[in-house]
Amino acid sequence: MRQLAYVFDLNKCIGCHTCTMACKQLWTNRDGREYMYWNNVETRPGKGYPKNWEQKGGGFKGGVLQTDGKIPPKGDYGGLWEYNLQEVLLEGKGNQVVPHEKPTWGPNWDEDEGKGVFPNNHYFYMPRICNHCSNPACLAACPNKAIYKRPEDGLVVIDQERCRGYRYCVKACPYGKVYFNLQTQKSEKCIGCYPRVEKGVPPACVAQCVGKIRFVGYRDDKDGPIYKLVEQWKVALPLHAEYGTEPNVFYVPPMNTTPLVFEEDGRLGDKPRIPLADLEALFGPGVKPALETLGREMQKRREAKASELTEILIGYTNKDRYRL
Amino acid sequence: MNTSNLMKQLVVLGVAATAGSLAISATVAPGAPIAQRTIRVLSAASTDAASPEAAVWAKAPATQVALQPAFPGHGSIVGTPVTEKLTAQAVRAGGQLFVKLAWIDRTANTAIKDTTAFADGAALQFPVNGKASTTPFMGDPKSPVNVWQWRADGRTENLVAYGFGTATRAPSEGLKSAAARTDSGWAVVLTRSLKVKPDEGASLLGKSTMPIAFAVWDGANQERDGLKAVTLEWWQLRF
Repeated sequence: MRQLAYVFDLNKCIGCHTCTMACKQLWTNRDGREYMYWNNVETRPGKGYPKNWEQKGGGFKGGVLQTDGKIPPKGDYGGLWEYNLQEVLLEGKGNQVVPHEKPTWGPNWDEDEGKGVFPNNHYFYMPRICNHCSNPACLAACPNKAIYKRPEDGLVVIDQERCRGYRYCVKACPYGKVYFNLQTQKSEKCIGCYPRVEKGVPPACVAQCVGKIRFVGYRDDKDGPIYKLVEQWKVALPLHAEYGTEPNVFYVPPMNTTPLVFEEDGRLGDKPRIPLADLEALFGPGVKPALETLGREMQKRREAKASELTEILIGYTNKDRYRL
Repeated sequence: MNTSNLMKQLVVLGVAATAGSLAISATVAPGAPIAQRTIRVLSAASTDAASPEAAVWAKAPATQVALQPAFPGHGSIVGTPVTEKLTAQAVRAGGQLFVKLAWIDRTANTAIKDTTAFADGAALQFPVNGKASTTPFMGDPKSPVNVWQWRADGRTENLVAYGFGTATRAPSEGLKSAAARTDSGWAVVLTRSLKVKPDEGASLLGKSTMPIAFAVWDGANQERDGLKAVTLEWWQLRF
């Protein structure tokens, strides 16, 4: 089976949510999917979307599917409030634009909050989609065989005819990336934009990315950016590999996305502002060598020397970033 | 199904580790003897039995049916169902079979309004070939079962299954349901014509007996799919 995979370079993400909007416009702005963000961008550190998804359970331990996962309640995804724009701005009724319900949580509720105390506070953006795992917990959890990996590209999809809305997949996905559609009473998820991929067009979230942080291609394509960044340079790492699902979205960890720490006397010190342990908690023990490699290659660049890695990460053209 | 057949099926399913304990519970489960696992069908002239409150139900014999936790056919299915018994009645009239089920369920879960909510439900199961040699555990690839499933959110589905995890919607023009809340729970009538097209499930036409099995789901206990209270053996409808 060929496996489509993604690399997201977190050093280039500006948190603009264009990826999220591209996905929403294409797939999730209707028919019971309104609350779903198949693609979301969350601020780290933060609670994420759905709220506290890292504590929801699921995945595998020692190769065994965990059954302790939680189904996030609707409130953890956030409300679907609308604003009275029509009345106030067009019909002249009332004098204040307000939501129709009191919002108490939503995607990006804690955007840009991050952690730490000024001037040493910090955060970075982490876009998330379905990881189209090689060992998907959602697939393993479905008693009705409604979930499968497409043999041609390894994308994980839910057969809407077979799904009976049992939500074992929602429980089992440790990333909180399977959603229950209350209107159709079936579960849904990111489909990797397979109708686009089949035509050689990158997924909408990838194509619309303003920062050009996203790379897409096949794991076994040794000339492509995925293989080079994941296998050859080892600077792109899976998110929470310990969940055991073998995700196929890889992240280049953030490096110097914030200034170094200010010391007490106000001088700029030499410690990284985002603690290494925080990054390792997300991307595992590969963070340190990855950051060292990145630092080394960036230094070459500063010295006007050639660096294949930085060339790849810049990704000048669509052809450089997409190999479909 | 005898114990060795059950064991064989479980081994095929790759769940041999749990098969031992299940076989024991299946063997010692205090189910009624075969001769007593019978539900007498009242033949009536009037077809006015579709409502659980129809007068004919006062005349139809009522049978207590004990329920047990279903065998969880998949590793995802965890938990213990709460329903312990139901009362079953059956009426044949005007070329149709009416089956009424009543059971205790203090909380009516009638709508799925949150991602975490599940609806109450109940189902009847018949072997498509009409034979009790069909496994009552959702059938197998050679001997499918036909399931009539009622859900408290108003959905009634006609399903055909060829083993665990294979339940698939089948066409059904005539399957109907009606439900009412009682003082303590639900009363539901499932109705279907005796005669069906070949792809619509089990034919009941001209039968003097027909194996039948039952299932109940309590939505408040997150019951769905294989997390259900069932009869582990076939009962017989006697027309």
